[in-house]
Amino acid sequence: MILVGLGASCGALLRYLFTYFWKKTRIDWPLATLFINLTGAFCLGLLVHNFPSSQFTTLFWETGFLGGYTTFSTLNTELITMYNERQWKNLLFYGCLTYFGGLCLVWFAFHL
Amino acid sequence: MKIKNLIAVAGFAFFGGIFRYLFSLSLNEWGILIANLLGCFLLSFLTYYAIERDLLAGWLNLGLGTGLIGAFTTFSSFTTSVINLATSNFLIASGYFLVSLLGGFLAALIGYLLARLLVEMEGNR
Repeated sequence: MILVGLGASCGALLRYLFTYFWKKTRIDWPLATLFINLTGAFCLGLLVHNFPSSQFTTLFWETGFLGGYTTFSTLNTELITMYNERQWKNLLFYGCLTYFGGLCLVWFAFHL
Repeated sequence: MKIKNLIAVAGFAFFGGIFRYLFSLSLNEWGILIANLLGCFLLSFLTYYAIERDLLAGWLNLGLGTGLIGAFTTFSSFTTSVINLATSNFLIASGYFLVSLLGGFLAALIGYLLARLLVEMEGNR
């Protein structure tokens, strides 16, 4: 359980750093979260399917690090912000890119 | 970038990750689904009730939002679960995907509407 917690701390820190530096560009589009979720999904797919699983890998890297690195709540809160500001095209584009991009990348990782 | 903020994100994420792990231990991918939906509601509510109005200190916003709830929810386990489920039962996988997608958006919408309602009620007092 400590391993999961430590992994999640490291993953969340990396996510915070990416979003922090992306916000400095002042571009009002959540590219950082998209990048985080897609790379995280791909890496988890690779780990689960192509690497020998050990207790350390499962707890620290998969559940902890990649679980804490990627986020589902930020994605949906960003979608609500777009909904709130009536940016329909952005909402649809961001949602589709994240969900279908994530699924495609995991499928790809499983078949490598 | 303040050290205090980094410590807040890492410290709160420690517990967010463990809470998610406990959900997944008892309910597998369905635990992840519950954690994700609950997290969407909580983050959206927190954002529109407290963060947008600067009710809390900056480090606490980051600790609770980015750390605790951000690490409590996960996108990578969600996508891997969908692809895993699809190999055995395509119907269940589609259901899991749709409930996550629509449920997550709906949960965040309810959080946002509740926050707006509470803010309005406080303003009328």
